[in-house]
Amino acid sequence: MATVRIQPEAEADLIARVCGGEHEAFYELVRPHERGIYMAALSILNNDADAEEVVQEAILKAFKAIGKFRGEAKFSTWIIQITINEARMKLRKDRRHLYESIDELRKGEDEGDYIPKDFADWREIPSEALESSRLRQALKQGLASLDPKYRQVLVLRDIQHLSIADTAKLMGITEATVKTRLLRARLMMRDTLAPGFDGAWRKGREYEKIRPF
Amino acid sequence: MILSPGEYCELAKKPIVEIDCLEVWRQISNYVDNEVDPELRAAMASHFKDCAHCSAVLDGTRNVVKLVGDGKSFDLPAGASRRFYGKLDAHLAICRPKKLKS
Repeated sequence: MATVRIQPEAEADLIARVCGGEHEAFYELVRPHERGIYMAALSILNNDADAEEVVQEAILKAFKAIGKFRGEAKFSTWIIQITINEARMKLRKDRRHLYESIDELRKGEDEGDYIPKDFADWREIPSEALESSRLRQALKQGLASLDPKYRQVLVLRDIQHLSIADTAKLMGITEATVKTRLLRARLMMRDTLAPGFDGAWRKGREYEKIRPF
Repeated sequence: MILSPGEYCELAKKPIVEIDCLEVWRQISNYVDNEVDPELRAAMASHFKDCAHCSAVLDGTRNVVKLVGDGKSFDLPAGASRRFYGKLDAHLAICRPKKLKS
C-alpha cells in the first residue's frame, strides 16, 4: 500500500489537535509512518511478532509523550527513535543480547574491507520483478540474513530514506560509521541477491536464487 | 555533485588519478549517493569504463538501493496495521469517561 505523506503544517495541526484532547487525530498522525516504525523495529528484532509488539508499545508511548514533542526533529524521526529504544529494551529484557551483543550496535569503525563475492552482470532490474512475491521474499530473507548493525543502517537509509545525519543520531554512531556500515550492507545484499553466473535475470527466468550471506 | 564552470575547468586540466578496485569498492556506496569529491568521482568513472568487475558491482549496488528503496519491496504482515493500535485502543478505552445511565 502506498504511504501518503502528510505535509509538515498538517502534521503540526494534527499534533496540536491531539494535545487539545482530540485523540482520534493521533491515529491519522501515525498512519503514514506505520511501515517505517515497523521496519525500524524489525531491523533490530528480526522477528515479525516481536516487531509488532514493539510497534504497539512505541505507538502508546508516543501518544503519552506527544505533549513533549517540540518539533525540533521531524515527527517521523521522533517516533522511530521511540521505537528503536523500545526494541533495544526488548532485546535486553529477552536476554537476546547474550547471543547478539547490543554493544555491537554501538561499535566504532568496522575493520577490514568487504570484498564483493559476485561479479555477474546485473545491469537490468526487471521492472515488474517487484510484483513477484518470491522476489519480495528474497529481499526480506536477504535483509534478515544481515548482521543487525548492517541491517539497521540499511533500513534507516535505504528503506526509510533518512539522512546520514538522522541515521547517525538514531543509531548513536558517527556519520562516518553510518557510511561504512551502509557500504557493507549494500554489498552484502548485492551478493545475496545477485543472479550469479547463470544469469537468471538476463535469461528472464523468475527469480529463484537466494544465497543467504 | 554539480560543478561550477570554474570547478569543471580546473578538474578537466588535472590528469585523472588511477585507483585500484579495492579503493573503488571502498567508495562505491558514496559514489552511488553522490558523496565523493569531483576528483575521486572522475577517477572512479574512468575506472568503471575499463573494469567490467567493478562496473558490475556498481550496477548491482545501484539495483540494491533501487529495490530495497521501493515502497513495494517490504510488505507489512497481513492485518498488522490494525493490530499496531491495540495497546493505544485499550489505553483510550480506559481513559474515556463512561456515559452515565439516564
